[in-house]
Amino acid sequence: MYKALNNLDHFLEIDFHENSLIDISTSLSKLSLRNPTVLASGILGSSYSLLKRVADAGAGALTTKTITKNPREGYVNPVFVDLGYGYLNAIGLRNPGVDDFSRELSKAKKYIQIPIITSIGGSSLEEFIYVAEKMIESGSDALEINLSCAHVEGYGLDVGSDVKLTQEIIKHLKSISSKPVFAKISLHQSKLEVLEKYVDAGLDGISAINTVKGLVVNIDTLSPILSNILGGLSGPCIKPIALAVVYEIYREFPDIPIIGVGGIQSSEDAVEMILAGASAVGIGSAIVRKDLKIFMEITRGLKRFMLDKGFKSIREFIGYIHRR
Amino acid sequence: MNDKSSMKKQLNNMARSMRPPYKVQSRYIVGEVCRIRQLTPTIKEYTMELKEEINPYPGQFTMLWIPNIGEIPLSFADYSSHTVKFIISKVGTVTTYVHQNIIVGSRVLLRRPLGNGFTLCSSKNCVLIGGGYGLAPLYYLGKVLSMNNCKLKTLIGFKNSSQVFYVEEFSEISDTYVSTEDGGKGFKGTVIDILKNVLREETYDIVYACGKEEMLTKVVRECLVKRIKVEVSLERIIKCGLGICGSCSIEPLGLRVCRDGPVFDGSLLLLTGQSLENDGEQICIKH
Repeated sequence: MYKALNNLDHFLEIDFHENSLIDISTSLSKLSLRNPTVLASGILGSSYSLLKRVADAGAGALTTKTITKNPREGYVNPVFVDLGYGYLNAIGLRNPGVDDFSRELSKAKKYIQIPIITSIGGSSLEEFIYVAEKMIESGSDALEINLSCAHVEGYGLDVGSDVKLTQEIIKHLKSISSKPVFAKISLHQSKLEVLEKYVDAGLDGISAINTVKGLVVNIDTLSPILSNILGGLSGPCIKPIALAVVYEIYREFPDIPIIGVGGIQSSEDAVEMILAGASAVGIGSAIVRKDLKIFMEITRGLKRFMLDKGFKSIREFIGYIHRR
Repeated sequence: MNDKSSMKKQLNNMARSMRPPYKVQSRYIVGEVCRIRQLTPTIKEYTMELKEEINPYPGQFTMLWIPNIGEIPLSFADYSSHTVKFIISKVGTVTTYVHQNIIVGSRVLLRRPLGNGFTLCSSKNCVLIGGGYGLAPLYYLGKVLSMNNCKLKTLIGFKNSSQVFYVEEFSEISDTYVSTEDGGKGFKGTVIDILKNVLREETYDIVYACGKEEMLTKVVRECLVKRIKVEVSLERIIKCGLGICGSCSIEPLGLRVCRDGPVFDGSLLLLTGQSLENDGEQICIKH
């Protein structure tokens, strides 16, 4: 009985918030989001049905798994380790390849109302363009270039460390369509002078940060745990790093929308990220602990925070700490 | 008797909910192999002593990690204070390695129990049905249910008599029926044939099934026609084991075997592609 009353209370609270004048919608370049939570790339975004589940769970936008020209099996297990303070993964860009995924994306665009950002990967300019064209054909609302996957040779970081190539990719993608182009960067390439070159090339937004390169060794067996040995670190332990990167990017480019990603586990974390300058927040490995209810939990918490502080819209406090 | 009271204690340790809270997986649990039994030419049973209590639910699974070789999901075939049993069939790289190299005394690494198990009930009339190495989770489940005063009937099927195993074990806890396709042992035919007979004779509260999906679909159809609740344990390629990579998704539903399962309500199988070829039978999904 007590539980039932508690639940009722819960519903009343939501209802009250829902009807109040608090606006939690936000925008990323041309995309309008019903709330600032974005499914981060690499998490669950490899099929229509998974994307639909996350959309139904309350996300504001979805980023697909990084799609490459050919299907990729990914690495042998173990590919993911829970460290307690964070997670280390080297899944190896496992994805169905652009041809199979085009079908999934077309279906997703038909039945899912929220924006879908396609994360695209490649090892050359041609591959990026090939994948991007197919994805736009299938209805992708925006593109996110994966410049920062920490653990696949020839992809991600290896592309991202070639500034000229990246500039070219951005210019080409901007020339083939009017869809916004975002770049997913990591701590290893957050140099502001480099980002300036990308912005000059036409970049519409930045996703920061991708996982940080890491290693974990099991001392019982004297061996690294991940089959790939090196992996990407995510989770609560990288949040302060992500916040610092977002803070610096916003300070330098206040007009470039940022998706703040890295260690967001609660609405408080999301608020911190927005205060540092993010227009939206990426949710990834938090799903391990909280599962898909994390999206609703964050939007509810955001409304409560805004009510407490008297903010009427998210825009009022994006980058607030820069105004002191 | 002692075993019985420790099992009761173990049951009490398990929360009743279907969704156990996520347990932090910050390190692997070390186990030492203390007994290996060859059950059939391709299936072995491994008994391991663990360094700590893990109290799995029947139907949950763990990941067995062999450094430099790989990591595979395994259902718990039995568990009682620190001792765990697995049934491992030689099918891929890791299982072949295990069959050839893991000996008594070898140390192995396991993750804590993952996923959602079977719904546990007490004093009910239940059927366990399975085939091949799908029997593993059913044995642990059967043991727990029989401690819970459930009346059990076990139906197990195999291709031929050389592949038959675990009949004595199941006979100790339940009324057991065996089938082989060539008739070498028990009934000649499949478990589905036995199930049809069994369901005709008596009514049951719940049916638990594990095995090939084709067989599971048939079990679900038989049960739902009779309006009997049925739970199935499903298999997919499991990568992260924690519900974030999407590798084990059941299409077109987007359910993750490692996180939402591996045990699901059987009616779900009627919504997946494989079972859509209808044989003209009227199926009622309501229980």
